Amino acid sequence: MIFSSSVRYLVLVLLLIGWGAQRAVAQDASRFTLSGTVRGARGEALPGASVAVPQLSTGTAADSLGRFTLSLPGGRHQLVVTSIGYQQITRDLNLTRNQRLSFVLEESGNELGEVVVQGAVTLEEKLKTTQMGVEHLSVREAKLLPALFGEVDILKTLQLKPGVQSGGEGTSGLFVRGGSADQNLVLLDNALVYNPNHLFGLFSVFNSDAVQSVDLYKSGFPAQFGGRLSSVVDVKLREGDRQHYVATGGIGLISSRLTYEGPINKGKGSFIVSGRRTYFDIFTRALNKANEGKEDYSPIPDYYFYDMNAKANYTLGDKDQVFFTGYLGRDVFGFSSTGGFNFNFNWGNTIGTLRWNHVFSPRLFVNTTLAVSDYQYSLTNRLDQFSFGLGSNIRDYTARTDVEYTPTDKHLFKAGALFTQHRFGVGRLDANSGDGRVNFGSDVNYYGAEGALYASDNYKASDKLQLEGGLRLTGFRSGSDQYGGIEPRAAARYALNDRTSFKANYALMYQYVHLVTNSGATLPTDIWYPSRLSVKPQRSQQVSTGASFLLGDGKYLLTNEVYYKWGQNQVDFKDGAQLFVNPELDAEFIFGKSWAYGNEIYLEKKTGRTTGWIGYTLAWSWRNFQPQRGTTGINNGEDFHPGYDRRHNLTVVVLHQLNARINLTASFVYTSGNLTTLPLGRFGVQDIPGSSVGIDPRPVPIYPNRNSYQLIPYHRLDLGVVYKIGARLNQDLTLSIYNAYNRRNAYFVFFETVRDKASGRTTGFAAKQVSLFPVIPSLTYNFRF
Amino acid sequence: MKFISNLTVLALPLLALAGCGKLQNDIDVPLPTYASELVVECYLEPGKVPSLAVTTSVPYLSSVIPQVPTDVTVTLTMPNGTLVPLAFSPNYKALTDTTGEKFHSHIGRDPLVARPGDVFKLDVRDTKGRHATSTTTYLAPIAIDSVEYKFNDKSGSERKAYFLTNFRDPAAPGDYYRLQLHKGDPIPKNLRKGPESDISLEDRLLNGQNFTVGTSYRFNANDTVTATLYHTEYAMFRFRQSVRDARNANGNPFAQPSAIYGNVQGGVGIFGVLSATRVTKVIR
Repeated sequence: MIFSSSVRYLVLVLLLIGWGAQRAVAQDASRFTLSGTVRGARGEALPGASVAVPQLSTGTAADSLGRFTLSLPGGRHQLVVTSIGYQQITRDLNLTRNQRLSFVLEESGNELGEVVVQGAVTLEEKLKTTQMGVEHLSVREAKLLPALFGEVDILKTLQLKPGVQSGGEGTSGLFVRGGSADQNLVLLDNALVYNPNHLFGLFSVFNSDAVQSVDLYKSGFPAQFGGRLSSVVDVKLREGDRQHYVATGGIGLISSRLTYEGPINKGKGSFIVSGRRTYFDIFTRALNKANEGKEDYSPIPDYYFYDMNAKANYTLGDKDQVFFTGYLGRDVFGFSSTGGFNFNFNWGNTIGTLRWNHVFSPRLFVNTTLAVSDYQYSLTNRLDQFSFGLGSNIRDYTARTDVEYTPTDKHLFKAGALFTQHRFGVGRLDANSGDGRVNFGSDVNYYGAEGALYASDNYKASDKLQLEGGLRLTGFRSGSDQYGGIEPRAAARYALNDRTSFKANYALMYQYVHLVTNSGATLPTDIWYPSRLSVKPQRSQQVSTGASFLLGDGKYLLTNEVYYKWGQNQVDFKDGAQLFVNPELDAEFIFGKSWAYGNEIYLEKKTGRTTGWIGYTLAWSWRNFQPQRGTTGINNGEDFHPGYDRRHNLTVVVLHQLNARINLTASFVYTSGNLTTLPLGRFGVQDIPGSSVGIDPRPVPIYPNRNSYQLIPYHRLDLGVVYKIGARLNQDLTLSIYNAYNRRNAYFVFFETVRDKASGRTTGFAAKQVSLFPVIPSLTYNFRF
Repeated sequence: MKFISNLTVLALPLLALAGCGKLQNDIDVPLPTYASELVVECYLEPGKVPSLAVTTSVPYLSSVIPQVPTDVTVTLTMPNGTLVPLAFSPNYKALTDTTGEKFHSHIGRDPLVARPGDVFKLDVRDTKGRHATSTTTYLAPIAIDSVEYKFNDKSGSERKAYFLTNFRDPAAPGDYYRLQLHKGDPIPKNLRKGPESDISLEDRLLNGQNFTVGTSYRFNANDTVTATLYHTEYAMFRFRQSVRDARNANGNPFAQPSAIYGNVQGGVGIFGVLSATRVTKVIR
């Protein structure tokens, strides 16, 4: 019922928007439409490129495919086309009819070839847009910035933006405005990525060689996005060079990368194939071989990860373009014990999308996408004839269509529909013996169907006032349980003058799938569970408001945003919950509420030889889980902060081009310390007779309060140098120094039992602070041929 | 190639630069005040004199000496309602014992008589007004159907055997077990020592079916192995699980701290009747 009435609302909104648009078209009948594309010299689309007519104080930004549409009065105009990292072009135009133009921008500066693709919009565009709480990440910035082990990681670069917290030292997890890591919608070319991490979160699955741009939405979520509460991480892969066959790659401390790209059928399309692999295992195998046979020999487990990206696009005439994207990534962990056990553990994502873009007219585009997304892990143990396996997976089949209609310069209308069929393999277990005596298997599977309809209109009411309204209707069904939701989205921008604007927005989000974890971190063994039985959809609402100021002759943009976010049906799990292969898993959930608020200040500079940003966030985040379902709740039902609640967060990022060959970079981070739970009390357990565990068994800690202890403040300075070599500057050496002043940041604190070396008896207890990474220099060689 | 070798030469000193100082440091952690609780640990065994240990929990960073309150009275209620006081008679020697003897603070006089289904109650109170109670049921022992072993195909000191224990779970769901393997002749002295293997099991996925529980290749020829199978209440299973989870959370940044779940109201701890079956086999 909720869903059907919601559909009526949506139809009403569509009619109103359509009516408004028709009126606008009627009023603007004497104007002409200028449309086209903005691409780089290699044929790559330039999303965010600005196409402007300064005399009329009007302009627009290219979309994710580099397309633009502009309505102009007939007559002579001077067009200015710009994109950060490219040379500006100016073109005179006599507009007497609707016209299509394609602009090709040459790279500015002498950046290494493979990093030219830009995803950043200009500061003026950021000032003008109604969208707030969004970060456009330039892959070039990410590649220039110093990185842990030299592994460029776009998710870690996002952590340098205000309002975004990391889960812990060196990890890629994103905690956005008080939300948890599973509340981020991570998309790769429109397909969902369930686990965006390798190696327990130390690296993200995104190979920066293959990525074109990343947009992170923290608030004011456009209506086309939904399904997660906290953020949208929209990753677009590169399309490949349309002019030349090019090989790029890099050799780093822990991994190597290779990318090959080129045109298809004389530039009608292009392809790109990219892969990377770590080589820890090559060293550990050599070490194992050298130590084999020694008395205290204990083999080091094999570990490596790899991922492969492929993308191809092809233009079918003037109006159609098709895209294919594929991703395959795996982490592989293997171990053979001297006791005869063989242990294998692997996990990873498999993603495929097929997208068809059809241009009905310069003002009407339709994108239709079919996507499959799969995440799985598999764990097997083998001993002689016995084997034991454990696994889980989630697989989505998604069909979506998105319409973009620009009836006039005053309206940008978007609408679409999405349907996803989920299959939740919540747990799979099998145990077998060669003689058939042990033959046991258990599977717990669920299905879910998720649907959404959305519509939005961005309306330029005047030069000063711009409004955006949207509505997203969502529904979810698993078995006989069904849920629906109406998700209104609203945003407004008021431009006080050319250099100052005020913005505000509101968004409501539902999340119908839930991450099952009791680790406090994202692990490969985490599984996803649908809304069913007692597990209701999570819900959150957020209001934010802010002001933007263009300073210093337009070179700097200062933004201040304030937000308040509150959520219901937030999930957690009982102590000792049975999370594996449990057909009654819903009984292990507990539910609570969350709220977060804060202020983010952001100063950025995107042009000139010195660029970068300074961000400062003052934030609070809270949770409350009352006693329920046979538990005392969390923290005995009292309010508590999640571990990643950090009051102060300061980031300073500077990139400086010293000359044509040398780029210098630095990033500094200061945050309040993580919150953690320390035991206040302890007691001893003797256990049953025959269970002696030695002298003075480990004490049993008692944890009365959740996250009541704060670690020391975290701060770190990273430095980087990119030195270009070769006559064509097509190679470089990238030096990264992570944690340059060797700060011993606290990773965690624990209480150690101090024992007398001679007798082995416990003599006391001591608090220990563990740090993860000291200063780590790394050198990477990158090339483009 | 020359370039790569140059790169290596350049990389080595950089790696050497990597800080190799201590990544673990002592720190001062000011902990807030902590109110101690009664800790009760009582495992009744048919045929043995009832005893239990009553201690108190303490602030984590306080003295290591166990706190044994001397003002506690303990009463055991038998299935027929008889009240049996357990006298305060601590065997402090066991606190420094290395043979596996368990400490008790209170002990009864007569061996316990118990039949499956019998319900026992415990009442513990001190002069400060702290009062802990608990109830437990004696479960029917579950027979070990068979034990067996198999050697690997190696020779010499690498020739080892794994050990299998087979038993059948009753038809009704909700059974919990603990299986211990001890090496050596099955005399009390050996069975009090630390086990070779000690695992907890539940029938959540194997209700009413045969259990085959194995080890890795770890036993030598001529080893005598005794398998002891305890049929336990859920409370004992969960207590052990929560103790393990709480211990693991101290020092594991990925673990979520767990509360202790026992069956003692008004305090911390566990009260149960051990229901055991035992089989011994010599590995030839």
